[in-house]
Amino acid sequence: MQASAVAPPGNGHNKGIFHNTAGFSTLITVTVLSLAWLAGFASRLFAVIRFESIIHEFDPWFNYRSTAYMVQHGFYNFLNWFDERAWYPLGRIVGGTVYPGLMITSGTIHWILHTLNIPIHIRDICVFLAPVFSGLTAIATYLLTSELWSRGAGLFAACFIAIIPGYSSRSVAGSYDNEGIAIFALQFTYYLWLKSVKSGSVFWSICTALSYFYMVSAWGGYVFIINLIPLHVFVLLIMGRFSQRVFVSYTVFYIVGLLLSMQIPFVGFQPIRTSEHMAASGVFALLMAIGALKYLHSLNPKGQWKQLLIVGGLLAAGVVFLAVVLLTYMGVIAPWSGRFYSLWDTAYAKIHIPIIASVSEHQPTTWSSFFFDLHVLVCTFPVGLWYCIKNINDERVFVALYALSAVYFAGVMVRLMLTLTPVVCVLSGIAFSILLDLVLREDELPAPPVETDESKNLYDKAGKLKKRTHEPVAPSDAGLGMNVRSGTLIAFMILLMLFSVHCTWATSNAYSSPSIVLASYGNDGSRRILDDFREAYGWLSQNTADDARIMSWWDYGYQIAGMGNRTTLVDNNTWNNSHIALVGKAMASNESAAYEIMSMLDVDYVLVIFGGAIGYSGDDINKFIWMVRIAEGEHPKDIHEADYFTERGEYRVDSEASKTMLNCLMYKLSYYRYDSGGSPPGYDRTRGALPGNRGFKLTYLEEAYTTEHWLVRIYRVKKPDEFNRPRLPLAKRSISTTNIMSKKLPVGNEQVTSKRRKGLLKNKPTVVKGKKVRLE
Amino acid sequence: METSSTFDISMIFDLTSLSCHAQTGSLIHVIVCKGYFLKMKMKLPLLFTVVLYLSAAFADQETLVLVDNLNVRETHSQFFKSLQDRGYSLTYKLADDANLVLAKYGQYLYKNLIIFAPSVIEFGGQIDSEAITKFIDDGGNLLMAGNSVAGDVYREIASECGFEMDEESAAVIDHFNYDASDDGEHTRIVVSPKNMINSPTIVGSQNLQPLLFEGTGLILDKDNNLVLPILTADSTAYSYNPKSQVKEYPHAVGRKTVLIAALQARNNARIVFSGSLFFFSDEAFNSPISKVHGDKVKANKSGNKELAIHLSQWAFGERGRLRVRNVHHHRKGEKESSNTYTITDTVVYRIEIEELKNGKWQPFDANDVQLEFVRIDPFVRITLKKQPNGAYEAVFKVPDVWGVYQFKVDYDRVGYTRLYHSTQVSVRPLQHTQYERFIPSAYPYYVSAFSMMLGVFLFSFVFLYYKEDPPKTKSE
Repeated sequence: MQASAVAPPGNGHNKGIFHNTAGFSTLITVTVLSLAWLAGFASRLFAVIRFESIIHEFDPWFNYRSTAYMVQHGFYNFLNWFDERAWYPLGRIVGGTVYPGLMITSGTIHWILHTLNIPIHIRDICVFLAPVFSGLTAIATYLLTSELWSRGAGLFAACFIAIIPGYSSRSVAGSYDNEGIAIFALQFTYYLWLKSVKSGSVFWSICTALSYFYMVSAWGGYVFIINLIPLHVFVLLIMGRFSQRVFVSYTVFYIVGLLLSMQIPFVGFQPIRTSEHMAASGVFALLMAIGALKYLHSLNPKGQWKQLLIVGGLLAAGVVFLAVVLLTYMGVIAPWSGRFYSLWDTAYAKIHIPIIASVSEHQPTTWSSFFFDLHVLVCTFPVGLWYCIKNINDERVFVALYALSAVYFAGVMVRLMLTLTPVVCVLSGIAFSILLDLVLREDELPAPPVETDESKNLYDKAGKLKKRTHEPVAPSDAGLGMNVRSGTLIAFMILLMLFSVHCTWATSNAYSSPSIVLASYGNDGSRRILDDFREAYGWLSQNTADDARIMSWWDYGYQIAGMGNRTTLVDNNTWNNSHIALVGKAMASNESAAYEIMSMLDVDYVLVIFGGAIGYSGDDINKFIWMVRIAEGEHPKDIHEADYFTERGEYRVDSEASKTMLNCLMYKLSYYRYDSGGSPPGYDRTRGALPGNRGFKLTYLEEAYTTEHWLVRIYRVKKPDEFNRPRLPLAKRSISTTNIMSKKLPVGNEQVTSKRRKGLLKNKPTVVKGKKVRLE
Repeated sequence: METSSTFDISMIFDLTSLSCHAQTGSLIHVIVCKGYFLKMKMKLPLLFTVVLYLSAAFADQETLVLVDNLNVRETHSQFFKSLQDRGYSLTYKLADDANLVLAKYGQYLYKNLIIFAPSVIEFGGQIDSEAITKFIDDGGNLLMAGNSVAGDVYREIASECGFEMDEESAAVIDHFNYDASDDGEHTRIVVSPKNMINSPTIVGSQNLQPLLFEGTGLILDKDNNLVLPILTADSTAYSYNPKSQVKEYPHAVGRKTVLIAALQARNNARIVFSGSLFFFSDEAFNSPISKVHGDKVKANKSGNKELAIHLSQWAFGERGRLRVRNVHHHRKGEKESSNTYTITDTVVYRIEIEELKNGKWQPFDANDVQLEFVRIDPFVRITLKKQPNGAYEAVFKVPDVWGVYQFKVDYDRVGYTRLYHSTQVSVRPLQHTQYERFIPSAYPYYVSAFSMMLGVFLFSFVFLYYKEDPPKTKSE
């Protein structure tokens, strides 16, 4: 993969050797792209090699489960699938609440392979789908960049995107998620859009719309496209770059894309009913108005049409804006959803929608993760951006807007780093291309043989695009001496090498853990596999009734359904906040209050994750405060966040912890009977504390299963008929008795003696020989 | 046949089991030989079936009677005789017998337990209050009667069942309603049949005679809705030690003084707890009644016998038992049952309920059986319509809300065993083919779509065949 990353740099060379050889440049392009594909694919296989061919994490489990369902039952049954095993007792209409692109893609691949008599299991297709698509993403990025700048830059960008950690974090083998294919669709749509803006042809616009349709079917991030493209058009209008090309391409794209996107059941009427999509229709209306004015202008080119145009344009913009506001006010258009507010106001989610804020990938990004995910490119992409702005044209306006918005969003949410990554690759590709151009252009001497051929051809390619007016003009670099050139070259080669080393390392170490199988390393470097999750889910699938209902925090819903094949109450599709809050309330209440909720929801088993024994920090106690917050949001009378903190506002579990905390269900289920974790026994290694409430008994639940490392604990909820008699507890009795329970304890050594013991009667009438006292 | 075969088998297999036989009576034979027959059934399939049948038939009738004095057998002979006449086989044991057992090899030897031993301090053998509560939890029935000398074991068992028995030596005293035969402490009281619980299933329908009672009062926990006050004292009664002066407020006063209490546990085990052993005695059964004060009620014979017999019938499950024979639900117009319904389907739900009457399961007759269609909350709650043969039917429309629902019939009436049946079905939204294809409000859109098509069709002709003289150049 290093080879491929370094390959393109040999760009910009003298024309001497391979003159006019278009064939060679194609060969180089194809070679580099296939190497990039290969490198991207190979670097994503660490998880499979280290562990096994397995679906990772949480959401992929649902995707896998529904893909398997679709393959088994056919597409229409999938579309109409009512999943009664999820969100008990609400159920979930899977077909209408899912972006089906991912399932259809792998289903199609499965179908094609089976038609060719290649019997491959659907799981393997799912596991390897994202790595395969990373190659397609590289090609799409290449196309996009060559459209923007030059083919040399395109090859750079393709190599970057193939291995960059910011993208491979979401597309390693086994990470079977929407993003895996959506980034390809995103890049390809943008490429087609630029193509259509450039050419103004209906054909390319239709292609854009079709690609957009694929994107809509694949990922909720399509909203980014449907806002970015209108923004592009809007900015072009403001810059006075209105043209028939823009008019045709946007109107065709918008209408066809709108109709197509509404075919996805999950999207439905959203494109015309929600604020997120209103920018697109507003720009459409504006473009129509301006098109009409332009047409009027063309009828009579004389007179004061220019002012009319400006005033008319502003007026039209105002009218469109007011209409949208009015419709929103009237309730025809839904206002911005909470998730989008949280993009503008980072504190919004924390206050109003804890369920969004509770997800770690929705946290604001730290500086270090920018560097970790993008490495040197984070420094070079502003250069590319600067060059694009300097040599502006219609397409480069787009990439500038893309870069600026993506940087903003990536700063707001860790997750959106993913949308930033492609544009960073594109712009860095441009920057590197320019740099090499600069360094190698007037180099009279032949470059080192390794790089010769590639550089040659790339230069030729760039030359082919000469007709464009905004071709970057190589700055006069006559002043650069030989030493400076080679020094710069070597320095940048080293940087790129470090980049590829970093990419491999980051993908391998940070992003290739399946997270359902954990690995720990001993002092001697030996690896120990902790397979507790699958152990627990396997237990559930083997030992519980087929319709058993499992309550757990929503993170594990998809895994329980996917691996345990049991009914869950809440899962990672967090569509119903109040249902999640109910589960959170049950976890945060004391046992008897929780029992009421659990019997209302017909819960049979409760599953908690407890990492105290092995020091696993992602366990339920650490997530617990979010459960409390979410529960408080819906049940402010019963749950108060402050009750779970100590008086000094600390979140602790030891003897200092608050009473509510020590008696809530989550605490009890985590620490029930816990005596492992080193010395002293019962020490919690995750929180570094000795639990404050120990040795308690459970009334309404009983332990059903605990995995080897205490990681997953499963409890059975007792049924009402197990509380058979309305026993009066000692405290409630008004008449005192001498002993609590005349239970016969074994006297002496042997139990047999007590079994055959004689009882005692008061005033036994026949006793004449004297009352016989107990044997002891 | 049964006995002889048992004997042979046990001779062959196990000599120690002989001792068991000798101790614990005939049921052991059945159980033990059942166990051995399991091993033998290859050889003796016929014999096995016969014995199994016998054991099943008699299982409900096996009753252990614990007394503190074998005289009780004589003093309460009428009550015991009525049981024996109804087919119960009674095993009398002294409460302090060192060989008392309730279960052997994990199987109960008795279905019913009668404890008429107020003076017991500690049971003999393997029985203690824990064993008794376990017996209840495993479905055994218990009839227990005490009196004012009853010890703490009684109190423990009572508390385990959700009520309390007053302190030792306390007795129910009523200075206005005592019988003429009272010995001066006013503890032999006359209780009007009006104080009985209004439930013919438990107490029978014609109890008109006043009742005689002498013993301790019981206190019920009012939060406890499983416990039933079968018989309460009059408002002038209280429970206290008749020999001492009243210094503290009595634990039970007036109508809160319960004389006989009953519990039907959640597993339908039944417990009848009487504060008076005298209540079940021949003396009380036979004695005439004449109240000294008040309305001076007189009767030739007390109503104790009727009530006692009714109570024992109820307690040992001869009456008030319900079961579900069959449940069927389907879409209206279809025959087959389905696990999945679509919203707004019309569903027919049919349940057949049987009641045990005179030892036979017969169709149950009531008009207040309700069905609920529940998804967390009941969305539909309707009274089932009675059909012939104990069947109950409801036809209703499934709500327009999808989810996982349960058909629930929860029939819980005083005196009857709890009848609970739930069936889970899912209610799914419309499939993509089930939506209306043409809706009236969409006609403008249809018109516009088809007119557009027509327009394009016509325009294509105009475009193709219309010749323009100067070829128009595209502006811009």
